[in-house]
Amino acid sequence: MFLCGMISLSALFYCNNSFAQTKPVSFSVSGSAGITYEGYGLNRNPSGWTGYAARKPWNQVRFNFTPTFKFGKNFSLPFNFNFAAIPTNFAGPYAGIKNQNFTQFITNPVNNFGVNPKYKWAELQLGTQYLKYSDLSTGDIGIFGAGIDLRPKTWRFKFFTGISQDGVNYFAGPPTVTGAYKRKNWMLQIGNEVEGKYLFAVNLAKGKDVPASSAPPPLTAKPQEGVVISIVADAYVEKIYFKAEAAQSTFTKDATTPATTLLRGFKPFIDPHTSTLTDFAGQVSAGWKSTNLDIGIGAKYIGAGFQTTGYPYLQPDRIDYTLNTRFNAWKKKMNVVASVGRRVNNVKNTALRASQFIGNLNWFTQFNEHWSLNVNYNNFGFQSASGTNPYGIKNVSNDLGVNPTFTWTGKKIIHLLSLSYNYSKYDERDVMTGLTTSNNTHTALLTYVPTYLTKDISPDFSVLYFYNDVPLAKITLFTISSALNMSAAKKKLQLRGQLQYTLGKLNSFSSNNNLIASCNIDYKITKKFSWNTFLTTNYFKYGNEITPVGANYLESICRTGFQYRFDTKK
Amino acid sequence: MKKIFSLIIPAFVFSAAAAQINSNLILQAQPPAQLSEWGNRREVLTLILSAPGAVGAQFKLKTEIKTTDGTVIASADLARTTTFTTNSTGTTILFAADAVPLEYMMFTGKYKTTLQRTGKLPADNYILCIRPVRPADYAPLGEEQCKNFYLASTQLPILMKPYNEEVLDAKMAQTAITFRWTSLVPRPSSPPTYRIQVFEVLPTQSPVQALRSNQPLLDKEILAATQYIWQPQIHFMPVDSNAIRKYPTFIWTIQSLDKAGNPVTQTDGNGEGRSEPLIFFVNPNRKNR
Repeated sequence: MFLCGMISLSALFYCNNSFAQTKPVSFSVSGSAGITYEGYGLNRNPSGWTGYAARKPWNQVRFNFTPTFKFGKNFSLPFNFNFAAIPTNFAGPYAGIKNQNFTQFITNPVNNFGVNPKYKWAELQLGTQYLKYSDLSTGDIGIFGAGIDLRPKTWRFKFFTGISQDGVNYFAGPPTVTGAYKRKNWMLQIGNEVEGKYLFAVNLAKGKDVPASSAPPPLTAKPQEGVVISIVADAYVEKIYFKAEAAQSTFTKDATTPATTLLRGFKPFIDPHTSTLTDFAGQVSAGWKSTNLDIGIGAKYIGAGFQTTGYPYLQPDRIDYTLNTRFNAWKKKMNVVASVGRRVNNVKNTALRASQFIGNLNWFTQFNEHWSLNVNYNNFGFQSASGTNPYGIKNVSNDLGVNPTFTWTGKKIIHLLSLSYNYSKYDERDVMTGLTTSNNTHTALLTYVPTYLTKDISPDFSVLYFYNDVPLAKITLFTISSALNMSAAKKKLQLRGQLQYTLGKLNSFSSNNNLIASCNIDYKITKKFSWNTFLTTNYFKYGNEITPVGANYLESICRTGFQYRFDTKK
Repeated sequence: MKKIFSLIIPAFVFSAAAAQINSNLILQAQPPAQLSEWGNRREVLTLILSAPGAVGAQFKLKTEIKTTDGTVIASADLARTTTFTTNSTGTTILFAADAVPLEYMMFTGKYKTTLQRTGKLPADNYILCIRPVRPADYAPLGEEQCKNFYLASTQLPILMKPYNEEVLDAKMAQTAITFRWTSLVPRPSSPPTYRIQVFEVLPTQSPVQALRSNQPLLDKEILAATQYIWQPQIHFMPVDSNAIRKYPTFIWTIQSLDKAGNPVTQTDGNGEGRSEPLIFFVNPNRKNR
């Protein structure tokens, strides 16, 4: 009904425009629509053994409807409808939910129902929207509601309001439903921008839980309320860029705590409770970008009490510094990407300050038409005191990878032979004894890829050896695999098959065996209409490392669906 | 008769008011760092007050938080705190919300600033002292009870490997992917459980949307260890050429659980005890390297 209304409205607008102008305005549709079914099967043996859990819903149907109708130059009507028949939430406010009411269904993050009619610089935002105003205000959360995005000349005015989660009652289970409070959200941005030159904007984002929205209420969540205000300033001068954002949040962690006059609130947006915090965050970066050289520095500070409903998983109380670069050399045959950084957690010393070093390097060189070499190195170190324990925490992870590739061309085949070797060393100090344990991993992969110049097939073959050694546990994996791509029926049919066998061994236990087979079948029924199918089966048989001895499982996935591609271009 | 009552009642009230109140303070050695959380958890603090033979006696609680050198950093505003009355059994049991009423606690200097910004006090050893006092003139009605406690907020693990936006080789990833993260800080007294979860990000989803809506491909609880080697047993296929992202995309996180299986932090951050998630890609096409 709503859909018909929107399209009719657009058609009416289109007709009016057609009459008003001498030339009929153009009309086009792009995007796609489709339906996909996914079935999952798991057979575990012996019967009654539950050592391997299902990792997909048994049945799932997903719908997508994402056309963009364009009426002339100025008016567009994009739809973004993606929804699933069965809820599958494991984390977040809907975790564990099985039976949804209508509001829970439309606000469930598994579903999107968004329409964004746009005329010139004015956009109406309806339904589910994932709006990123800035890095520190709001951006990660989908909100179902209504709003506008107006961009007259260089001005920016955005406003959106809605709910990001509906109330969900706690249920002990099984399965347990964590429960959630209904959360209302508001966001506003006022700014000025010339794309590629500068941006100055002020953002305001607020989220507020409705305490009476779930009964029984969640056991592990409290009704919360938070508001964040941020100022963004970006500038670009030719190859140089500068970006900065400063933000202040006022957040009530538990709205059931008593109101107080001893703490600051942020009136008129939020009244203070004993659990209300006001803290700051900021980030700044600057650098140079060009074809052959990028170099940049950045710093990010998140205060210990900084919290925003727009980024629920943002980890506070830290400061990061990074220096990164990318450059091409040797007539662009050498490409280097590197970064080095330091991160300090618990900056405010509300716990124990922790320091990390992070370094990455990726160095690729094409020596000649036959030889290339890729080398990468990653280092991650973490160090912190450990409360009342005698020794502090210290973890150091070092990874080194070397990947030479040799290519040669025959009369009918281009051959590619590639070897990858990775060494990973992970040292961890025991906080009680002070002893450091080393965890060493070696991975070697040899791949051969022949590309036929005269045939429509491309196979590949690979062998992999993996060895991980920690005190009391040694894991060895040996894998052989092969894949084949081919087309048929005048290229209407694309086929890809893969077969993989892995032999695994833990300590002196008997070996475990794993066989995976899969195939993709993509069939173009017409130019715009396709049928895509993916089938895979995975058989795993344990050695005697677990009981019952001989336990095994067979896992299968079948995914099939039809897609229609809207395309009015001739 | 009236005269007798007029003598007895004040005498009774005086005796009740002047009665000695015995108290016993039980405080967790390491209570939650977020002070506002004390009120939600009855196990944090229990104050048992007994006033034998003084039913109906009124009293207030003079509460102070001190550093280990005896400096008072917070004290209850006695003019505003609740007046309690001993009940008919002679024993009154109070919890943190009554004994340490944050809405009436006056913090000093840097402690006030830190509390306003973080909801916590700087990590350190502190002393909590509570004494029942007469409401009228705050004269002591019993011995001061003091208990030491250590405050340190829990820092959730930081994800190390695969690092954010790392592109893994599909052939290697199909056999094994190594996950590493830092441990909880400070290390808790009983070994924590780390629940590792890996979610596939569908072409139409944003990474956090996938985390909040999909069934995880990997959902494993690991006791104390900070590394997990995952055999995905999945063939990673190239994504559709129209897809927003170039490679199959995954988001992973660690949920830290205490020995009862509850998230270690419930009012900090997302309330789920989940670390800031990272995404990684799997490149099934070697030509794109």
